[in-house]
Amino acid sequence: MSTTTETDSPGTAPAPAGGGPALLGRTRGRWLLLAAGLVLALVLPWVIYPPVAMDIAAWALFAVALDLLLGYAGLLSFGHAAFWGGSAYVAGLTALHWGLPFPLAALAGAGFAMLLAWPIGVLSVRRSGIYFAMVTLAFAQMLYFIVNQWRGLTGGENGLQGVPVHFFGLEAVETDAFFFYYAALPLILLGMWFAWRVVHSPFGRVLVATRDNPARARALGYDVERYRILVFVISAGLAGLAGGVFAISHGFVSLQEVAWQTSGKVVLLTVLGGIGTLWGGIVGAIVIVILEDQLASSGFEGIGIITGSVFIAVVLLFRRGIWGTVSDALARRRGERPAAEAVSAADGEEGL
Amino acid sequence: MSTKRLAATAVVSASVLVLSACGSGGPGGGGGDFSDGKVVLAVLNDQSGVYKDLSGPNSVKAVEMAVADFQEKYGEEAVVDEIEVVAADHQNKPDIANTKAQELYDREGADIILDVPTSSAALAVATQAKEKKKLFIDIGAGTTELTNGQCNKYTFHWAYDTYQLAQTTGTAVTEGGGKEWQIIYPDYAFGQDMDKSFTRAVEEAGGTVGDHIATPFPNDNFTTFLTKAASAEPDVIGTMQAGGDLINLVKQYNEGGYAADGIELAVGLMFITDIHSLGVEAFEGVQFAEAWYWNHDDENRAWADRFLEETGTRPSFAHAANYSAALQYLEAVQAEGTDDADTIVGNFEGKEINDVFLKNGTIRAEDHRVIHDVYLAKVKSPDQVTEDWDYEEIVSTIPAEEAFMPLDQSACSMGG
Repeated sequence: MSTTTETDSPGTAPAPAGGGPALLGRTRGRWLLLAAGLVLALVLPWVIYPPVAMDIAAWALFAVALDLLLGYAGLLSFGHAAFWGGSAYVAGLTALHWGLPFPLAALAGAGFAMLLAWPIGVLSVRRSGIYFAMVTLAFAQMLYFIVNQWRGLTGGENGLQGVPVHFFGLEAVETDAFFFYYAALPLILLGMWFAWRVVHSPFGRVLVATRDNPARARALGYDVERYRILVFVISAGLAGLAGGVFAISHGFVSLQEVAWQTSGKVVLLTVLGGIGTLWGGIVGAIVIVILEDQLASSGFEGIGIITGSVFIAVVLLFRRGIWGTVSDALARRRGERPAAEAVSAADGEEGL
Repeated sequence: MSTKRLAATAVVSASVLVLSACGSGGPGGGGGDFSDGKVVLAVLNDQSGVYKDLSGPNSVKAVEMAVADFQEKYGEEAVVDEIEVVAADHQNKPDIANTKAQELYDREGADIILDVPTSSAALAVATQAKEKKKLFIDIGAGTTELTNGQCNKYTFHWAYDTYQLAQTTGTAVTEGGGKEWQIIYPDYAFGQDMDKSFTRAVEEAGGTVGDHIATPFPNDNFTTFLTKAASAEPDVIGTMQAGGDLINLVKQYNEGGYAADGIELAVGLMFITDIHSLGVEAFEGVQFAEAWYWNHDDENRAWADRFLEETGTRPSFAHAANYSAALQYLEAVQAEGTDDADTIVGNFEGKEINDVFLKNGTIRAEDHRVIHDVYLAKVKSPDQVTEDWDYEEIVSTIPAEEAFMPLDQSACSMGG
C-alpha cells in the first residue's frame, strides 16, 4: 500500500525542532497506529451490530472532513449538514431512479456537495470566526427549507423512503448489512486517506499558515481566499461522500440529514475527538454513535443528559479532545526521556 | 518489515476467527412453530422527547398489561409460554429508528414492532418490516402514507391518521353549525396536508373555508395570524398547529377574547397530554378529534383504572391502542399456533374486532388501515372537571366507515 511509504515521509522531511532520533520512534508509532486503525475498521462489524458500525464509519469520515476545515483552515462551519444531507438526497435519488450502484451514487452525491460548496464557499470565506459559522448555517438552512418544500422530489417530512442498494448484482452486499459494510469501507478509507494526503501536502502546509497568520500568508504571496475556498470544497466533498454512504446504508434519507442538528452533531464529534488532529473525529464518532445506540435500548430516559455531560466534561477537562489529550500525554512521556532516545537511532526504534 | 506484516495478519485473522465464532451463534433452530421458541414484542418509540408522555415508557407498560392479560386468559392452554417485551428509544430520529428496527428484528428476535411515533421514523420502520418480513403495527404516527403509497404487507396502522383527524373535526364541527372557517396552518408537509384534508372535509359537509393562513414553523407569535383570521368574522378558526406551537396559539386565542365574539377554535391535532400540561383552563371549549377517551364508558374506565394502578397516570389513546394491538396480535398467535408473520397477516386481514380500544374495528385487508369509531371531543370548563385527567366531553361519535379514508381514494397496492 502506498500509504505505508507516505507515512514515513514526515519523518524524513526536514525535521522541525524535535530532532531526528525521536522522530523515528514517532514514525514507527504512526505505523502501528495505522495498522491498529485498519484492524479496528475491519473487525468493527464483528464486534458491534453492522448497521451501527456503518454509522460509525460514515460519521467518522464526516468528522474528519469537518476537521480538515476546522482544524487546518481554522474555519468553523456550522452548515456542513448541507453537504452531508445534500449528498444523501442525491445519492438516494440516483440510486432510486437510475439504479446506480451505490459507490457511484455516493460519489455522485459527493460531486453534488462540491458543486454546492463552491458558491457557498466563495460567499462565506470572506468572513471568519462566528460570522463564517453563521453564514454557513444560513446556507444550510436554505437547503433545509428547499428540501422540505420540494416534496415531489424529496418526500418532504416523510423523507425519501425505499432507497435500494445496488452493487453489481452481488446479492450478499445488497441485502446483508454485514457485507455492505465491507463494500462501503473502501470508500470511507479512500476519503480518509485523501484528507490525510491533503493535510500532508504543500497545500496543507499553506493552509495551516493561512490559519495561523493570514496576513503573513498573504504577504508571502498566497491567495488566502482561494486556499480557503478550495479546502471548503474538498471538505464538503468528503462530507458528501460520507453522507451518501450513510443514506444508502439506511435505505432512506430524511430531513434530519439536512437539519442544523446534524451540523451540530458533527461539530460535537470533532470537538470531542480533538480539533486539528484529523483522526480525533473517528474517536468522537465511535464514542457518540455507540453511546446513542446503547442508550436507546437502555431504558434510560435522559439520553441528552448523558451525551451533554460527556461533551461538557471533555470540553472542560480535555481541551484538546480525546485524541489530542492522549497524543499530548504520549508526547510528554517521550519528552521526559529525550536522553534515552538520543543515544542511538536503533534504540529509539526498539523503544516503542 | 515482513515480521510486522505477519504479526498484523495474524492479529486480524485471529480476531476474525474468534469473533466469527460469536457471530454465528445467533438465533438458530427454535421450538416448532415459534422462532426462538418464544414470542417477542418490541415497543419502539420516543422514551425521552416530546412524545414521551403521549406514548413513551407507559406504552411499554400497556403492552406488558396485554401480555399479562393474555397469559391469564389462556393459562395452560396458551400456545406459547414465553412472551417477552423489549423496548427501544428512537429519540424521534428516523436514522435511529431504522437501525433499531433492524436490530430488534435481527438481534432481539422481535416478532412485531409496535408504536413508532413521528412519520418519517414510522415509514423507515415500515420499510424494514417489509425487508425482514416481520410485523409492524404503527400507533403513534399520523401519516396516511403508511396505508397509501408506501403501504406493505407487514405494516398495519392501528389508531389514527391525518385524514381521520380532518374528517372527524372538520365534518363534525361544520355539521354542528360552524359553517364559515378560517384555517391557520404551519407551513410544512404535515400542516399543508392537514389544511387540504380539512378544507375538503369542511366543504363536503356544506361549509366554506375563507383564508388559508400559512405560518412559519416553529413559531411563537400567532397574534397577527389570529387577528387576520378573526377579521373575516368566521364561525370557526381551525388551527393545524401542534405541540408547543399549539399551546402558544391557544394562549393567544384566549387572550384575544375571540371566544366571546362567537369564534370557536377547532384544533387539528391535539392529545390529552397537551391539555394536561397546559391546564384545562387554557383549552376550555376547544374541539378536536379523539381516537379514544379513557372516561367515555365503563369498559374504558375499568381499563383506565387498572392502567392508573400500574403507572400512576391515566392512559392516552396511544396507550390503549398499544394495549389493543399487542393483545390482538397475541390472540392471532393463539388462534394460528405460530408467530409466523405471513400467517398472522392472513389472520388479521379483514378481521372484525371489538376490544377496549377498537369499537366496531375492522382491519382492512386492502390497505391494512385499521378503522374504528372515533370521537369529536370538547375540552370541559374547569368547573365541570371532577377529577384528574377528566378533561373531555365526547360531543359525537363518528362511525368507522365515515372517519377514515375510503378505499377508493387509497393509493395502496400490496404487491407482494
